[in-house]
Amino acid sequence: MLNQPARSLGVHIILIAYSALALGPILLVVMNSFKARNAIFGAPLAPPNATTFSLVGYAKVFKASLIGTYFANSLIVTLVSMFLVLLFGAMAAWALTEYKFRGSTALALFLSIGIMVPIRLGSVAILKMMRAAGLNDTLTALILVYVAQGLPMSIFILSEFVQQIPKDLRDAARCDGVPETRIFFEVIAPLLRPAIATVAVFTIVPIWNDLWFPLILTSSDSTHTITLGVQQFLGQYITDWNSVLAALSMAILPVVAIYVIFSRQLISGLTAGAVK
Amino acid sequence: MRGSFAKRTMAEPLSQVVASMPRGRFLALMALFLGPAVAIYTLFSIYPLIATMALSTYTTDSSGAYQFVGLVNFVTLLTDAVWSKPFWNAAWNNLVFFAVHMLVQNPIGIALAGLLSLPGLKLKSLYRTVIFLPTMLSVVIVGFSWNLILSPLWGVAEGALKAVGLGSWFAPWLGLPSTALVTLALISVWQFVGIPMMLIYAALLNIPDELIDAARVDGLGHFRIFWHIKLPLVLPTIGLVSILTFVGNFNAFDLIYTVKGALAGPNFASDILGTFFYRTFFGFQLQLGNPTMGAAVATVMFFIILAGVCLYLFIVQRRLRRYAF
Amino acid sequence: MAGLHIDKINKSYGPARVLADIDLSIVDGEFVVLVGPSGCGKSTLLRMIAGLDAPTSGDIFIGNRLVNALAPAERKIAMVFQSYALYPHMDVRKNMTFGLKFTGVEPSERERRVAEAARMLRLEDLLGRYPRDLSGGQRQRVAIGRAIVREPDVFLFDEPLSNLDAALRVSTRVEIARLHRLLGATMVYVTHDQIEAMTLADRIVVMNQGQIEQVGKPLELYYTPANLFVAGFIGSPAMNFFPAEVESIEGDKVRAKGPTIARVTLPAGSLTRGSKLTIGVRPEHLTAGAPGDFSTTGAVELVERLGEASYAHVRRADDKLMVAEIRGRDTPAPGQTVTFSAPAEDVHVFDEAGRRL
Repeated sequence: MLNQPARSLGVHIILIAYSALALGPILLVVMNSFKARNAIFGAPLAPPNATTFSLVGYAKVFKASLIGTYFANSLIVTLVSMFLVLLFGAMAAWALTEYKFRGSTALALFLSIGIMVPIRLGSVAILKMMRAAGLNDTLTALILVYVAQGLPMSIFILSEFVQQIPKDLRDAARCDGVPETRIFFEVIAPLLRPAIATVAVFTIVPIWNDLWFPLILTSSDSTHTITLGVQQFLGQYITDWNSVLAALSMAILPVVAIYVIFSRQLISGLTAGAVK
Repeated sequence: MRGSFAKRTMAEPLSQVVASMPRGRFLALMALFLGPAVAIYTLFSIYPLIATMALSTYTTDSSGAYQFVGLVNFVTLLTDAVWSKPFWNAAWNNLVFFAVHMLVQNPIGIALAGLLSLPGLKLKSLYRTVIFLPTMLSVVIVGFSWNLILSPLWGVAEGALKAVGLGSWFAPWLGLPSTALVTLALISVWQFVGIPMMLIYAALLNIPDELIDAARVDGLGHFRIFWHIKLPLVLPTIGLVSILTFVGNFNAFDLIYTVKGALAGPNFASDILGTFFYRTFFGFQLQLGNPTMGAAVATVMFFIILAGVCLYLFIVQRRLRRYAF
Repeated sequence: MAGLHIDKINKSYGPARVLADIDLSIVDGEFVVLVGPSGCGKSTLLRMIAGLDAPTSGDIFIGNRLVNALAPAERKIAMVFQSYALYPHMDVRKNMTFGLKFTGVEPSERERRVAEAARMLRLEDLLGRYPRDLSGGQRQRVAIGRAIVREPDVFLFDEPLSNLDAALRVSTRVEIARLHRLLGATMVYVTHDQIEAMTLADRIVVMNQGQIEQVGKPLELYYTPANLFVAGFIGSPAMNFFPAEVESIEGDKVRAKGPTIARVTLPAGSLTRGSKLTIGVRPEHLTAGAPGDFSTTGAVELVERLGEASYAHVRRADDKLMVAEIRGRDTPAPGQTVTFSAPAEDVHVFDEAGRRL
């Protein structure tokens, strides 16, 4: 308990000030994206009103870019990658935790290299490989890279969760005659659901926001993700403030909406996956 | 982290289930469970890294054929003025970029976590959610938004400073060679301060309440409890945050590319290793991309990150004592 | 239905030996309790019978089948775990039928078995509930039900009552005893609680440091413990021990004397003058004041009153504490010096190696 009200007030003032600093720039961009050009420059800090309200920027973004396609691409890439990272990650985490065999510790170490070493440094060879495999400029290439990128961290996090599942459960399943594969898919996997939030923070967010791999692996407009698409659009229309602000807002708003809906799970996932 | 998943406290012997399984079936089971993860990871993460390092020992002649040259690319990169000047510039800038994060992001993150973990604080989940929000956004979005806000054209930043009587402090910070890099680093700090805050906050929550109660009974105030009890107990997390910051910073690219382009202007003042790597590999303006030199730059970045990680794992982490509660 | 035979089981983790040359035969339909302090190897032994752990060497037979190489499911056993180990994402019915699905039991047969087990354990109203909505006692009954529907040859219980509160522990204990009468199946039950062992077992196996100390009927262990460990382990409060030395042998009577004992007369054995002994007397066999074959004197330090009896903690002449149980309302006051005695038939004598004489 903060016994002195004055000190409590001080703490709140600091936190409110910092929250304003965190939220202000985002609000400013979103707010001005709904205003006409004159109002953007005339009174940047004023919210849109009846006279200044305008959707001209949004209309331009829809007309001049494939924003819907970008969005769909990002959704496909992120969801498919997440599914595979979770599935393969959970399977590997279970096998490494549950079955000991010669070399399993070495394998676990090998898999953990990717936690610390960014996959980006292999870009030169990745691009060559994708070109050779004919996967250049496809969403498949992005998915493969993102799965490889997400696996080490997800195996690490999921191993922690697997270890928290009581050992008696798999013993009971074995006494019950449940085959080993079914033990994973029907007993263990359903119990890993709470881990999804934690894995999401560490894998989905970087995938959704990544600029690097779309930049080097996709060249045509139809395979751009939202991050790259918006980046290219912004570069092209840099002087058209309405369009720029609208494009930024359209990239911000879905993320903020999803974040607000799931923030409790995401944050509890983050603090659970953390670390003493 | 709570001990890597590679570490086992006790070598558990093979379970009866594994022992009573025919060898072939056990291998098939392991192939099923580990196969997909190991295959994708090896093929698209480890192999490219090794291939990149291998490529850094080759060069292309005028006909485009690859020729093995050993460490010549590295010698060129570190000594030939055409390459070494921008390389050392980028490396130095990267160090500055990292220093700003360590000196600004992590102390602010610790302070915010300390405030949020005060017992009985109201609205803490709201503060937490809001302060973490920028971390969720793409670096591209954040970079561009700040680009607009700091732009003298729009005048929002200037207006804000004028409002508090500091109008004369304003300058086009992103455009000046002397301030561009630090400004970019501060934008990055603004975005990512949520990560140290959350990790340290989680660590602070793990400290048992009895310990804090005991300190209060001993007569310590909130600040002293934080400084003398909580902070030493979360040092391992601060170490972890530092290494995550290090890896992230020496791998950064998106923000500078978004705000300043591949040329990382003005006059390469904001060039870091990530942008230097991109230019080397893909080329820029009239200069053609050079895959083998690009691979050499990536290899050097790999060794810098590796050195940092090893320093952390073998020296810092071992000195930081972990306390079991 | 089947008996169980364990032949020279050894288990080592590296240099640490967890079980050493365990031999044990259990007849069909018998209720055997493995009891011992934590870390004595009793749970490891049970897990080996289940097939969850592999012995380093030795054979396990269930019925007449050598089961060493068989997976748990093939051994016709069912196990009830301390933590219940109910699948949290399945309701009670699914928890009970889940295993049957994989062992080729027809759906109609599954339903019949679940209905029967539910009736036996009074679980009919709980079949649609999830484990999180059940009390500890209900969870334990579901865990037992899950074992029953498998219709195993041998039931294995791993400390099934330790997570229950005291009252529930007693009623569940009675339930398990009733079930054993009803099913007539072979049951092996691990516990560290000697009361569970005494009340449930046809035979008790007392284990210590990876070895079997004694196998016997509950009252055999109480009245004729084979060695110091069993004597000290069975009975609560624990037996008092006194060091002693043979003073004289007269025909079939031996007189032994120790620093704390005034006088003790014992049936003669293969003892000689000067042999070192340990004398054991249970607190409930000590009587204050009255003369007896064995007697000892000490100062009362503390009296714990339980109601039906009181425990007097008495400081002996060798400065160690002993406990005497006192019935009735007359309890000695702290500080009082009291002489306690016991008749010869309640005095246990152990030789220098700790074996019963």
